[in-house]
Amino acid sequence: MTEKIKNVLWPLGFGILAIVIWQEGFIHKALGFKPFQLPIPSQIVTTLRDNFAKAMSDTMITVSGALVGLALGCLIGFIVAVIATQFPKWGYTGLSVITAFNAIPIVALSPIMNRWFSSGFGQKVGVVTVVCMAAMAINAYRGLNDLKPFAKDLLESYAAPEKVIFFKLRLPNCLPSILTALKINVASAIMAAMISEYFAASTSGIGFGIKDNLRKGMMAMGWSYIFMAALVGIILYLLILLIERRTIKWHASQR
Amino acid sequence: MKKKLLTLGLIAVMVGTLFVGCGSKSSETTEVKDATKSADTAKKNDGQLQKVNLQLKWLPQSQFMGYYVAAAKGYYKEEGIDINILPGGSDIIPEQNVYNGVADIGVTWVSSLMNYQTQGYELQEVAQVFQKSGLLLVSKKSTGINAPKDLSGKKVGNWFGGNEYEVLALLEKYKLDKDKDLKLIQQDYTMDQVQGGTVDAASAMTYNELGLLLEKGLAKDDLNIIDMNKEGVAMMEDCLFVNSEWATKNKDLVVRFLRASLKGWADACKDPEAAGKTVYNVDKSVSLEHQVYMAKEVAKLTAPEGFDATKIGQIDMKAIKQTGDFLKLYNPKLAKTPVVDETTFTSKYFDEATKK
Repeated sequence: MTEKIKNVLWPLGFGILAIVIWQEGFIHKALGFKPFQLPIPSQIVTTLRDNFAKAMSDTMITVSGALVGLALGCLIGFIVAVIATQFPKWGYTGLSVITAFNAIPIVALSPIMNRWFSSGFGQKVGVVTVVCMAAMAINAYRGLNDLKPFAKDLLESYAAPEKVIFFKLRLPNCLPSILTALKINVASAIMAAMISEYFAASTSGIGFGIKDNLRKGMMAMGWSYIFMAALVGIILYLLILLIERRTIKWHASQR
Repeated sequence: MKKKLLTLGLIAVMVGTLFVGCGSKSSETTEVKDATKSADTAKKNDGQLQKVNLQLKWLPQSQFMGYYVAAAKGYYKEEGIDINILPGGSDIIPEQNVYNGVADIGVTWVSSLMNYQTQGYELQEVAQVFQKSGLLLVSKKSTGINAPKDLSGKKVGNWFGGNEYEVLALLEKYKLDKDKDLKLIQQDYTMDQVQGGTVDAASAMTYNELGLLLEKGLAKDDLNIIDMNKEGVAMMEDCLFVNSEWATKNKDLVVRFLRASLKGWADACKDPEAAGKTVYNVDKSVSLEHQVYMAKEVAKLTAPEGFDATKIGQIDMKAIKQTGDFLKLYNPKLAKTPVVDETTFTSKYFDEATKK
């Protein structure tokens, strides 16, 4: 138990120390910054408090786009992985194609998607979907195929049909990999949604808020958006961790 | 435990020395820089050219024809200046580049400059190039936007990032809520969104985007145009500004730069056609026709009808004050009231440069 407390206290202490150093202007002194170039934490907090309604609505717009894209991308990725597993002869090509998609940089993808969809929401979902597909497809494929030695042979010796092998063996075996992919994708989904907003026609969302305020030199507001983005990212990541703890208690990583 | 504490202490010491090291280093370099700068001012008559970096607000185009004409005709060289014109772009912010010393002098809009000044950036306007606003809201007649109040429920485009204040002022004047009554759209730099219908009313400069639409085959009769000057929400646009601290150390250089630039602008306004060609020779990213069109329109903003051509570049404090008042009135989000005085808008370099 004491070990656990220590694990929490140390990072927490460092975090607080960093904020105090920042607040007291040591960073500014060391690097020669002016307060309007790098606002201090208390300034960011008051700015965020004064503009909370706007920041919150922008955050919800970004998060909703990111989550829908995440769900869609993960679903497509998973289906591709299943097809590649069940029909390895031709299905594996799909996996390669999706991996190739993953190599397209988001900054190139966003302007392209903006030409396809007219609404800001559609643009965001499009970009996030493509970004999330690959990680899920690759991880799920590995989970579906890296079976325990002889487990599949055993089931086959019982004359179990493909369906049973899939649901009783492959799917449970795949669960940890799916959750790993989700953890990767949650972070990249928020990031992709924000970058898409940089190029989008819509004037709402965290991405637009950061870009617009930093361009206007309104740094405290820009940092408020950065704070919201970080907060949302952390909350979503913790959510996935929680799900992971509940669903795969049996897995080695959770013991 | 003891060992851990020891490592921790060591880390703290190391980080500390790192910071101190960086700190002292940066202050040293600035001192050196300052020394060379003042030395530069001293030896201006040695026949050696002094380098000046001019940061444009946008890509090389006739909007900035005065500087290109002055450079092409050697006016800067005559004043002992080796001019380096830095093109702008969507993520290049003149205010930040001038403040950080990437450029010495910058071109930006007064409304945007004021926003930076209120944040604490010590920037100072030294000349007002455009005497009028060139911003329009353009829509196709079919969208039915015959007056500003018809913008309600429509998709209104702007480039944002400091270019939106006039549009926001217009909306506020007609009691339109920018979040609820209409949809603000981030415009790209083509006018395709107007033709495609993604944007109903698009921001357009008289000298650029309006021309693009006309060149694309739309007739002026097909368009409804809302003019910020006529609506009484015009804010001042292209101006020249400097870092106040740098300017006080380089007074003479600023004056000489202004003298050469204003000479270039006077020439350009007298013969926009030639100025458009000069710019086209520097940058061929748009057609010669468009550069010449732009030059002619820009001349109308720099030296409007009935404007004394010898006064090109002068700062009309009344117009500046109005810009500041509108910013405060229509953009309550601004942290502080724009300061309009000698520290933020000064004519002393202009007066010195135009002295006979």
